[in-house]
Amino acid sequence: MTHSTLLIAFPKGRLGDELVPKLAGTPLALDAEALKSRVLQIPTATPGVAVLLLKGADLPRYVAAGVASLGIVGSDTLDEMDMDLLELADLGFGACRLSLCAKAGVTLEALRAKPHLRLATKFPKATEAWLSREDLTAELVPLSSSAELAPLLGLADAIVDLVQTGGTLKAHGLVETAVLGRSSARLVAARGAYLSEPGRLRPLAETLIKALVQG
Amino acid sequence: MPVRTPHFPDLLFGSAARLRHWEGALMGLLANHGYRELHPSLVLREAIPEGALRFFDGDDLVALRWDFTMALAGVLARGFPVPPPRVSYAGAVFRRPAQPWEAVERFEVGCERIQPEGESSEDADLELAQLLMAIPGVLGLKSAILHMGNAALVRRPLEAEGIFGDLAKEVVAALSRRAPHRVKEVLDGHPSAARLVAHAEALLSELNGPGTLGALATSPYAELLHEERRHMELTLRSLLPILPPNLELRVDLADVAGLDFYTGPTLRLWAPGAQQELAAGGRYDSLFPGLGRPWQAAGFCVRLSRLLDLAETRPDLFELPGVSPSHR
Repeated sequence: MTHSTLLIAFPKGRLGDELVPKLAGTPLALDAEALKSRVLQIPTATPGVAVLLLKGADLPRYVAAGVASLGIVGSDTLDEMDMDLLELADLGFGACRLSLCAKAGVTLEALRAKPHLRLATKFPKATEAWLSREDLTAELVPLSSSAELAPLLGLADAIVDLVQTGGTLKAHGLVETAVLGRSSARLVAARGAYLSEPGRLRPLAETLIKALVQG
Repeated sequence: MPVRTPHFPDLLFGSAARLRHWEGALMGLLANHGYRELHPSLVLREAIPEGALRFFDGDDLVALRWDFTMALAGVLARGFPVPPPRVSYAGAVFRRPAQPWEAVERFEVGCERIQPEGESSEDADLELAQLLMAIPGVLGLKSAILHMGNAALVRRPLEAEGIFGDLAKEVVAALSRRAPHRVKEVLDGHPSAARLVAHAEALLSELNGPGTLGALATSPYAELLHEERRHMELTLRSLLPILPPNLELRVDLADVAGLDFYTGPTLRLWAPGAQQELAAGGRYDSLFPGLGRPWQAAGFCVRLSRLLDLAETRPDLFELPGVSPSHR
């Protein structure tokens, strides 16, 4: 990789699955052969521009450090990490709710009434902010995956997690009892790269916005 | 207890020589323009902010110098009935880093332009901008970009709408991210939301040359900000004809970094591809009144530690013979 190669960070997983097909036929379409391989740096249809495939939680770090000049990541991850990034656009897709979820039949009032409420979550910062707004206290149980299991197995009274269709919750007998916030995919940029070379990054940012918002 | 990896860099031969050379060259430039050096103590006993490196000296809590402007302001406000108009400084400041890759010890060279209350600030702002324009040449940067902004472009509309405190901070944070959609989220339900979102969109619409100022005309606060726009136009008219080769001047209407400190024009120096600004400054007219002195002030600081890092990682950006990978 040279200084002239411009890297864009894409998230692996749900958001990545949604965005890669949207770029087909655009100047930032990903090389199909490379995509099938296990390679994590994928050339695009534009020479000198490559895509890094990263875990969502790592992606803001790569962009904030300037390794990748642009990136696409969920606003839930951005809000949790609070990195020094530019957030150029709300791309709209990947929309979901950050919700408080408990076993069917357990109401918000019942959770409020608990003297020692335990909440399992991958989103401690957003959960703390909500607890503060609601004037509640709770023990936070930090988890990194499969939070739905926590209330079923007695690890926590409820969870705070992302809900898109509600299918996973339903499969585990959970229901949403409160919506804490909303999340969607955001186009982010490295502050230094964008402010020092807007002429180089802005056209690429506009291509992404055109393909992902208007496409 | 959070795990921290504070960064205390040792400067080896090449970097040490570069630091010495740049410090001398920059202080020479400032001395030639009438700036006299003041060297505040490395150990400060004044109000100690979060982020400073603090320790006990006997029963007294003291801190290592965390900011030259604050340290010098204390010295000047205490010891001078009339301020020296031009002051320069060079040395290290110590701050706990916000990001794990930042250094704790940071080398800086900078200047302060201080004026009695009521004196026109336009000439002083122009003088500082001209000095900053000379700095890429002194540092041996092949090319550089000077961003010109004005803190009042955000501060005054917020004040006019009665937005202060946490809500103002959230609006500023959204603008700092250059995210008008975040401004909209933050102000959802506020009576001034539509006006301030339109203003944010105007500020963020361009990041370019002098034509960028035209975007202000589309803001609902165009009338309120008439004087700021006139000042920026005047500065541009004065600077553009004397712009050195390889220096690009851009207007950045959405520059809100340090908005709690800056009160007027701001300047930031970048190199193409650099991840952080290499010098920054502006007008901070509320600093001395806060210390009981009716003086106005502006200044800038060249961040030599960032330049040393850049010389290591991007030697191609420099023309100095000493800045190449073989001289590390």
